[in-house]
Amino acid sequence: MNYFQATLRKKLSKDFDIQNIAKLASINLSEDEQKELDNDLSIILEHVKALSDLKLDTEQKEIFIHPLEKELELQEDKLVESLTHEEALSNAPESKDGKFVVPPSME
Amino acid sequence: MSLQPTIGIETHIELNTNTKMFCRCGVVDTEDPNISLCPTCLGLPGALPVPNKKAIESITLLALSTGCEITRKGMFHRKNYFYPDLPKNYQISQFDLPVGLNGELEIVIEETTDNIQIERVHMEEDTGKSTHSGSGRIESATSTALDFNRSGVPLVEIVTKPVITSSKQAVAYIEELRQLAIDLNISEGRLEKGNLRFDANISVAPEGSSELGTKVEIKNMNSLRSLERAIDYEIERQTKAVEDGVEIIQETRHWDENKELTSTMRSKEGSADYRYFSDPDLPNMYLSEDFINQVKSSMPQLPKKQREELVDTGLTLKQANILSKSDVWIKSLYFKVHKQTKDSEASFNWITGELQGQMRKSSIEKLPEWFSYEYLSEIIELIKNSKISFTSAKVILSELLNTDTTPNEVAEQKNLFQENDTDKISEMIVQILEENQDVVDRIKTGEDKLVGFLVGQVMKQSNGSVNPGMAKELLLKKIKD
Amino acid sequence: MDITNLPIRKLNTLFSKKELKPSELYSQIFDNAANSEASLHAHLTLFEDENIKKAKESDLRFDSGTSESLLDGIPIAIKDNINIKGYKTTCSSKMLSNYTSPYDATVIKKLNERQTLFTGKTNLDEFAMGSSTENSAFGLTRNPWDTDFVPGGSSGGSAASVGARSSVAALGSDTGGSIRQPASFCGLVGFKPTYGTVSRYGLIAFASSLDQIGPITKTVDDSRIIFSAISGDDPRDATSIVNNQLDIPSDKTAKIGVIKELMGDGISDEARNEVNKVTEILKSSGYEVKEISIPIIELAISIYYLIAPAECSANLARFDGVRYGLRVDGKTSYEMMENTRAEGFGKEVKRRILLGTYALSAGYYDEYYGKALQARKEMIEGFIKAFNEVDYLISPTTPTQAFKAGEKTSNPLEMYMSDLCTIPANLAGLPAISIPTGVTSDNLPLGVQVMSRALSDDSLLNFSEIIEKEVQFNQQPKGWM
Ligand SMILES: [Mg+2]
Ligand SMILES: [Zn+2]
Repeated sequence: MNYFQATLRKKLSKDFDIQNIAKLASINLSEDEQKELDNDLSIILEHVKALSDLKLDTEQKEIFIHPLEKELELQEDKLVESLTHEEALSNAPESKDGKFVVPPSME
Repeated sequence: MSLQPTIGIETHIELNTNTKMFCRCGVVDTEDPNISLCPTCLGLPGALPVPNKKAIESITLLALSTGCEITRKGMFHRKNYFYPDLPKNYQISQFDLPVGLNGELEIVIEETTDNIQIERVHMEEDTGKSTHSGSGRIESATSTALDFNRSGVPLVEIVTKPVITSSKQAVAYIEELRQLAIDLNISEGRLEKGNLRFDANISVAPEGSSELGTKVEIKNMNSLRSLERAIDYEIERQTKAVEDGVEIIQETRHWDENKELTSTMRSKEGSADYRYFSDPDLPNMYLSEDFINQVKSSMPQLPKKQREELVDTGLTLKQANILSKSDVWIKSLYFKVHKQTKDSEASFNWITGELQGQMRKSSIEKLPEWFSYEYLSEIIELIKNSKISFTSAKVILSELLNTDTTPNEVAEQKNLFQENDTDKISEMIVQILEENQDVVDRIKTGEDKLVGFLVGQVMKQSNGSVNPGMAKELLLKKIKD
Repeated sequence: MDITNLPIRKLNTLFSKKELKPSELYSQIFDNAANSEASLHAHLTLFEDENIKKAKESDLRFDSGTSESLLDGIPIAIKDNINIKGYKTTCSSKMLSNYTSPYDATVIKKLNERQTLFTGKTNLDEFAMGSSTENSAFGLTRNPWDTDFVPGGSSGGSAASVGARSSVAALGSDTGGSIRQPASFCGLVGFKPTYGTVSRYGLIAFASSLDQIGPITKTVDDSRIIFSAISGDDPRDATSIVNNQLDIPSDKTAKIGVIKELMGDGISDEARNEVNKVTEILKSSGYEVKEISIPIIELAISIYYLIAPAECSANLARFDGVRYGLRVDGKTSYEMMENTRAEGFGKEVKRRILLGTYALSAGYYDEYYGKALQARKEMIEGFIKAFNEVDYLISPTTPTQAFKAGEKTSNPLEMYMSDLCTIPANLAGLPAISIPTGVTSDNLPLGVQVMSRALSDDSLLNFSEIIEKEVQFNQQPKGWM
């Protein structure tokens, strides 16, 4: 078992925990929303379960990111000018002294 | 019960590419915020990443030079977590298929070497920078300001296996890695600029135990000194906890530079779940044999090999290590001077000691144009042949750094050539002995060491032009007669 | 003759012969929009004032005979998830209701180079997630054939705009059928090109490995013209590919397959009848038609509803209130982000983000996302096998005709089922087209879908043109011109 698998196999909890998922997705759900989404997701997950039972002969095959199996091309390390400082900040909800400003984010 | 610490280190090295990892914005070193941005590194909707070839060459070079297996069929993953300075709220990184796996790096402590096992070397992108206003803890903070110039700068992450056993080893490892990055010319390697940043995972377990203790991650160590102190502190804290029967919890702790202690960091989420998955914007990355060979052919001499060559000139491992971690011009100066003088000890001492010392003192960054390495060889030869004293040699060197002249010219002008004429020295000695009769008496009763004082007097009287060895010999002869 | 009914090549001829001015066409198009917009709500923004000036420039080029582009002066509507510099790009989301793009998508750049005129930005299901354009934060769009019915989605605004002749053609994006399904519901041609042939740079991503921009047009030839204008390798999109077309016969030497799995349960009689009608015509023209089975297609929706939400959960993470878009305050950055995302996203978007987050989370990856990737691979191989036997695959585009607004909003799964026939082409990256072939007893249009090998887009268009000619579908919605 490699590094990747080891991390993935470390199962948290088998239960579907809408609160934890919402936290991971950074969405503050109301209680009503939680109930509704919990129900919706259960229905959808029940449907996609069909996949878990699927026996595939591709288990050992290399997975490609690109459906046409294109290989990644690398780009030369050459500068291209892009956004001006003003453009970069043009949509900022709040900014000061050329920086974006947000509520405190210290850990 | 004796407890043994185990340490693993994760290091991020900022590459010295012209442009960022996934866009062609410049990597800039400026205080002007948000001036090197495009839709990609600002995470604007619809923008896409395209990787930097130079960065992939650099990481491949690093992986090859640490003896890693190169992952020929690799890919990029998304590491998902929400943080305001991470524009996409995921970092493009590598997961199960990093560029390099299972390498090692030789480190030197005093006169011995050790191999630090490297688990992985992977490519990723940097975040923006946050500045917190208000003071101290989050309760009193008022806001956070964000500059995204650094967002998307290429980072190479090197993770060691948990094989480090002391803060000394940890420091030696970072020093070695830094030098490697500099020699490979893939990073500026400047710690104070954050070109190299490191976190340590530390645990303690009973000696001989096959299982590791609970690991604690230490962050915010900004210098080698804080790395050393933080590790020592944490080992002591954990050792005490185990001895007191207090449970060590798996957590991330913050090194406080001022208080010199580690403390629990506020955790934003219960447990980190980064939901790694392959980045659908970046197809599989295949490193061809041609590519790897081409990178190999550009590999310079590695620090380990340099050290071997230096030891072959007669230096100790410790000396060789110091030189291998010095600037390129110092290394080459050493080889040139050594080639002429065949004296490794003197060459090493004069270059790493006196020359660098004087330059530092006088804030000279570069050797002046007129300064030839042959001057150092000449100085060493002059001393060896007793033509000048060590003290005079220092004076000469200082002059050479400031004036376009030669060692012989300076010695001539300042009258620094040593008096080697026995008669003239004897004459001087008689006078000194008369003036210091009390000292002479004490030497006669066995306080031989005091002869040094008398030699000093002779040197002073002669403005250092007397050969001190001869002076001592003659003094003793006269006193004992 | 209503000029807004004419295909692009014919309009270009009229312009060239100076029998019609682009500005005249433009104002006629805007009259149509003025007539229909209140009932249909196809557009979120109309660009009349800005573009009348550009139309006049087109007039001058045709006057002086210097026009070089088939698309010069042709008014095209753009789905509002494609960035046009200086204009709002909202994705029909509250999240981006105030967002103005500082850059052009690559497709916009290409169309600008060809002097295309943009009529406005069209409505869509929020972030292209939906099949009815009911999930728009700015109100639903209605079907120009009958306003009780949905136009399909997510490119419903684009389809309604072309359907009502408020634009000559439109760009949409297709992740699981979002071009083809609304084209079918609105009696139009909808073409999803081979994955990678059209740059995604500047298209606000829903699911990166599935998204593809394509045209919604009145004729196959119009789709061909737009496809050739917007396709091509883009250095800003690492997934884009050189448009090297395979040449596949479209004459009667071509072999046709009917996908067995898309003709059974869940497919309405009317949809099945359209396919049978077309295959009968093809047979009578001498084509060989046979049934082809690709069993894994039955799992298409399951695969899709793991892969697309997983990718979207990360793609939509960047909408956090930090750098642009909506911000809802909070005491800390984390609270601000959570509040912003709670308020900024609609229900369907949240549903998919959460589904994807779950599918990727520790412990579930293997079971869900990992499995879906493998099943996707199996599907790609299934198609390769099928294309060893036949050149084109035919199926219904949609299981049913357009449904009524509100009919499927309560059960998400039922809505998802309407993408059954279109999803496989996205999963396999294949070119696929919906061609209008008939009207149902409710007087609503229906189309059939044709798919072919990757990078055989041109051949697919040629073959589709043969079907188009044979079927002679020439009905259109009434009352808007
Ligand atoms: Mg990292
Ligand atoms: Zn950039």
